[in-house]
Amino acid sequence: MRTAATLLLVSGAVLAQATIVNRLPFEWGAGPDLVIAAVVAVALTSTPAAAAGCGFAAGLAMDVLPPAEHAMGRYALVLCVAAYLVALLHRNTGSAGPLGGRPSVWAVMGVTAVASAGVGLGYALVGVLMDDPRVTLAAVVVNTLVGTVLTALASPLVALPTLWARGALSEGDFATVRGPVTPRGW
Amino acid sequence: MFRDSRRSRVLLAVLVAVAVTLLVLDARPGGNPVTSAVRAGGELVFAPAATGVSWATTPATALHENLLGGSDSERVAELEQANADLRDELRAARIDRERAEQLDALLGLAGLGGYEIVPAQAVTHVTARGYADTVTIDAGTDSGIHPNMTVVNGSGLVGKVIEAGPGTATVMLATDVNSAVGARMEATRKIGVVRGGTAPGGPDAKLTLELFDLQAPVKPGDRVVTLGSHEGAPFVPGVPVGTVKEVQAAPGALSRLARIAPAVDFASLDVVGVVVEGPEEDPRDSVLPPRPDEEDRS
Repeated sequence: MRTAATLLLVSGAVLAQATIVNRLPFEWGAGPDLVIAAVVAVALTSTPAAAAGCGFAAGLAMDVLPPAEHAMGRYALVLCVAAYLVALLHRNTGSAGPLGGRPSVWAVMGVTAVASAGVGLGYALVGVLMDDPRVTLAAVVVNTLVGTVLTALASPLVALPTLWARGALSEGDFATVRGPVTPRGW
Repeated sequence: MFRDSRRSRVLLAVLVAVAVTLLVLDARPGGNPVTSAVRAGGELVFAPAATGVSWATTPATALHENLLGGSDSERVAELEQANADLRDELRAARIDRERAEQLDALLGLAGLGGYEIVPAQAVTHVTARGYADTVTIDAGTDSGIHPNMTVVNGSGLVGKVIEAGPGTATVMLATDVNSAVGARMEATRKIGVVRGGTAPGGPDAKLTLELFDLQAPVKPGDRVVTLGSHEGAPFVPGVPVGTVKEVQAAPGALSRLARIAPAVDFASLDVVGVVVEGPEEDPRDSVLPPRPDEEDRS
């Protein structure tokens, strides 16, 4: 149930990104990236392995959907690693707020901003390795900054419903199975 | 801090390996059956969704504007409703008229140049990461569109098709860094290349013209049309590209660089045409609009 809801929300974010956000004419190039927000929300509430799988799937979908102007796998690679790292760090540091409750809006926005900056730089790095002439220092700085700010601002739209759905459904499914939970961490 | 199970690490490694394999397969020149099949699948999902969004956005904006108004009595509500309906009709008519004007301009340009075009509408303008200058249009191989076809609108050159699925196609704009268009100066027939973005050592610009002839007379205000490629792919001849804004003669350079103001307003692309059949013969400068100063004088 939880998996189905997550799948639905993440694919919704991917489609919304491809058909709605990419349609808006942003003068400065990069727009907000709802997919990062959705993947971060999943990564904050699951195991690193599941997060990596989710990031890979969402990134691959964005690679495949038009305009497929970059090589397939580029975004999947970056998002997969980013989701894995977010989940790993979150799980091992347990910075989830009081009593491991749902992270606050600000925390989600902060994590999304960091993830978005990392994804922007990682994507540019893959471009450098593949000798993409579009990746210049000026373009990377502008795109990463603008993309990070816009993604962080737009992230609650996607991340909060995802977190809420995952939280609500996990209580029904796993509350009894989980057994004793430590007061901190997940 | 980085404690994790072995299985999870193996999964990450597998996913990364798959992504890198895809990258390598897809980055190689020439089509790859696996990646193009996957792209076709993605396009299958995208095309109806994009059509749905196109269909939904028009009433949604109208509804939003209707909701903004409030009323006290039924009469006022009724009148406001009537007013809103009329305003909606007017707005719809205006959008239709703008589209019709753009189509008219497109047809005019196609008629002047003798191009056979397929009209389409731009359904995306930006990419998620913002590096490439590409748009997606809502027509594809079903309408006879294939990669390496010229895309124009009523004002001039938009770009070329780089990817085509059954119902959508991706257009690389002339302003993309990877784009290079063979170009010719109006009247003098001096040839050069118009590249997207800024050439190394050139002026900061969206389009840069590189002229091979150092002696060729170029001055701001000169206009540039496409030179045309072999068999009209990727660019048909005679399409207006832009106007020279600034010429830079770098000492010791092998070519001259000039900043070009694009003929097309890339920020507000809507109706475009894909040239599916080039002209029988080079239309020379006949597609260029009349010079404004000449009109003033007459």
